[in-house]
Amino acid sequence: MAVLLLDKVSRWFGNVVAVNDVTMSIGPGVTGLLGPNGAGKSTLIHMMGGFLPPSAGSVTLDGEVVWRNEQIYRRIGLVPEREAMYDVVTGWEFVLANARLHRLDDPEAAARRALETVEMTDAQGRDISTYSKGMKQRVKMATALVHDPPVLLLDEPFNGMDPRQRLHLMTLLQRMAEQGRTVLFSSHILEEVEQIAGSIEVMVSGRHAASGGFREIRQLMTERPHQYTIRSDDDRRLASAIIAEPSTSGVQLMAAHGTEGFAARGAPSTGSRDGSSALHVQAVDFSAFVRVLPELASRHGIRLYEVTPADESLESVFAYLVAR
Amino acid sequence: MNATVARLTARSLLGRRRAYLLMALPGVLIVLCVLVRLLAGEDNDITVGILGGFALSTLVPLLGLIAGTGSIGPEIDDGSIVYLLSKPLSRHSIAGTKAAVAASVVTVFAAVPVLVAGLVLAGTSNGLAAGYFLGALVAGLAYATLFLLLAVVTRHAVVIGLIYALIWESLVGSYVPGAQALSIQQWSLALSAKVVGAKAQALGVTSAVSLGAAVPLLVVLAVGSTWYAGHRLRSLRLTSDE
Amino acid sequence: MSTPAEPRAAAARPGAGVIHDLGYRHYDGVRLGRAAITRALFVESAKGAYGLGRSTRSKVMPLLLLAAISLPALIIAVVAAVTAADKLPTNYTAYALHLQLVVMVYVAGQAPAGVSRDLRFRVMSLYLSRPLERIDYVAAKYAALTAATFVLMALPLTILFVGALLAKLPVGEQVPDYLRSLGGAFLTALVLAGIGLVIAAVTPRRGLGVAAIIAVLAVLAGVQGAVQGIADHENQDTFAGYAGLFSPFTLVHGVQSSLLGAENELPAGPPGALGGVVFLAVVVGVVAACFGALLLRYRRVSI
Repeated sequence: MAVLLLDKVSRWFGNVVAVNDVTMSIGPGVTGLLGPNGAGKSTLIHMMGGFLPPSAGSVTLDGEVVWRNEQIYRRIGLVPEREAMYDVVTGWEFVLANARLHRLDDPEAAARRALETVEMTDAQGRDISTYSKGMKQRVKMATALVHDPPVLLLDEPFNGMDPRQRLHLMTLLQRMAEQGRTVLFSSHILEEVEQIAGSIEVMVSGRHAASGGFREIRQLMTERPHQYTIRSDDDRRLASAIIAEPSTSGVQLMAAHGTEGFAARGAPSTGSRDGSSALHVQAVDFSAFVRVLPELASRHGIRLYEVTPADESLESVFAYLVAR
Repeated sequence: MNATVARLTARSLLGRRRAYLLMALPGVLIVLCVLVRLLAGEDNDITVGILGGFALSTLVPLLGLIAGTGSIGPEIDDGSIVYLLSKPLSRHSIAGTKAAVAASVVTVFAAVPVLVAGLVLAGTSNGLAAGYFLGALVAGLAYATLFLLLAVVTRHAVVIGLIYALIWESLVGSYVPGAQALSIQQWSLALSAKVVGAKAQALGVTSAVSLGAAVPLLVVLAVGSTWYAGHRLRSLRLTSDE
Repeated sequence: MSTPAEPRAAAARPGAGVIHDLGYRHYDGVRLGRAAITRALFVESAKGAYGLGRSTRSKVMPLLLLAAISLPALIIAVVAAVTAADKLPTNYTAYALHLQLVVMVYVAGQAPAGVSRDLRFRVMSLYLSRPLERIDYVAAKYAALTAATFVLMALPLTILFVGALLAKLPVGEQVPDYLRSLGGAFLTALVLAGIGLVIAAVTPRRGLGVAAIIAVLAVLAGVQGAVQGIADHENQDTFAGYAGLFSPFTLVHGVQSSLLGAENELPAGPPGALGGVVFLAVVVGVVAACFGALLLRYRRVSI
């Protein structure tokens, strides 16, 4: 079990508090560290990687303090954000050197394995200075994987990757997590985190704003009404029936092509996808509404074509947390 | 000592532009000495002037600065030192290996050319060549380790090192004799004087520091700098792009 | 934080878009031209060479060096005033020679600070995409470093001059020498700035530029000393006179002593009037060559 535990961790630089009283536990699986730029994600990862001491609190891996502890790197693989590497050596030599520095029994085999995992075997004979950004990121991954660590920390790993490379890295991270490793990566791009993170930790302005699966977080935010987009064969009648219900607080009829009205906060679309008209419902008691809707529809003889939660996405969660 | 760290350090230290500088400086020295020997013949005053006043006081510290800061400075600066630090390696081992590489580079590019220059200028007479070679050797070692430490501690290691080596040792030292007690140049000159032997005083190879003081000071400086550099590496903070 | 819905909504509505007036105002007034930009760059670079307009950290080194070079002058001036000496212990021109190390370290530190950083962080495109030509950029940077170095050398000379005046030394004697030394300071600044900037422009890596500039200047000084020594030894006076060509300080000193009538501090000065002209020609040649080299270097910089 490789569990990273942060206990009341704070970090300040002079007058600036970069991380403010954060307590979290990162266990096996893929965890996404999410937050806008300047939220303290990099600071947090540096502390977890043993490159920055916490000003208060403690960062431990399975009970061992990470700061000033060289042996902990047997169990941690770090993919740093900064691009610079030893430019004068080839990819193969660099990964091999990393394998040797880990005092592995068979550094060549480990290096070969790592390079195969990241699909860099074709270019491994070229100098690193000739690599593109995506290739450098892959070599960085290889150096982090070469010693088979149970914990992987990645600082903004998808930066500068094209879609194909991103997909490949996501598959790789998921594979690592399935093997029981603890994988933590930071990002400020919601789609990336949404796709592979089993649980997310949200950082906003140095504070730990939320943690857990994003659906669970969404459901916890009951102060905000839930939005639904509904398409049916008689929108207007359905709308008048819905607004009569106490579990809703607003209904909007979106005409075809969504030319009317404004989009409610957090809603990703103003009409249904194929441009026909749709209903936009704001539900204050979403569990009640969800029960009452099919009942209403069947009572009035209306056929429902589409019921979509309009803001059940990480984006709306995020927007809400940031605006709080 | 770690062979991999040494290999990586040597390759980045002897990268293109730095290598040109490292080769050009002793090259100029040797060419100069050849010309001097051809034009002026063998002359002790000129030999002492060039070896002591140019090689030992300017060339050796400069090469020590380039080698010492170059063996770790650029890596800390662009963040690639993370690849060395995120390994289960003792920081003292990293610092020690880099110091060894820097010292080797200084020996090859400074001390040996000083020996060659000395032989060109004065042959084996008076032991001048041997004396200055030894002086350059220990001075180079001391400078390399000191500047390595400086590069770990601050980002402005080169300028600070220059101010020490040129302004403190040469300028201030010539006006304020007390400053010479804290000068690597003087410590190494004490060794040179000892090798030159009896005629050292007459030839102008003198030091403001006695041999008994110079040797321990040099040893303490070299060992202490390397150890402290390793100690500081343990608490090196990495930041994102500055 | 506004949601991405609005831009997408705007895109989904064909032809019915509205742009809201947020009070953004265009600038319709007079736009200053190339000369003004160049002048602004010059002023900013010159101030930056002393850390003004930059972080506190960048002020430390230049001001430290300024203090280091002025302190002896201050001491001399005070001593002269207090002891009512009838002559300053050192010439103005000699002072500049004695403290050449400080000037060398200053140029070695500030030339990269002004030029290497723009190259290293690839912001040249920000400069060149304005009505600023490459030659303007080079001229502004060169002039700025020259001005800053000139100030570094002129300050202690002025302190000496003021001290001499306060010691009631005959003004008529002091003024010509003072002016000569200022002229020499200007020429030295020109030459050093040129050499420093050329080296800094080809070594963008942090730290390497500083070391390279000092290396070059130190080597030049060493070569000059050695050549002078040999020539003296061989009693080759003409040769010894021309040895001063090798190092910027002795080069300018040669011009000062032969053409401007200053006292010669070196073992041998440039021989005769021809020597003086040669020295001056070399000064001009070096400055022109450095400027040309910089232009060539910056021609290769792409936007």
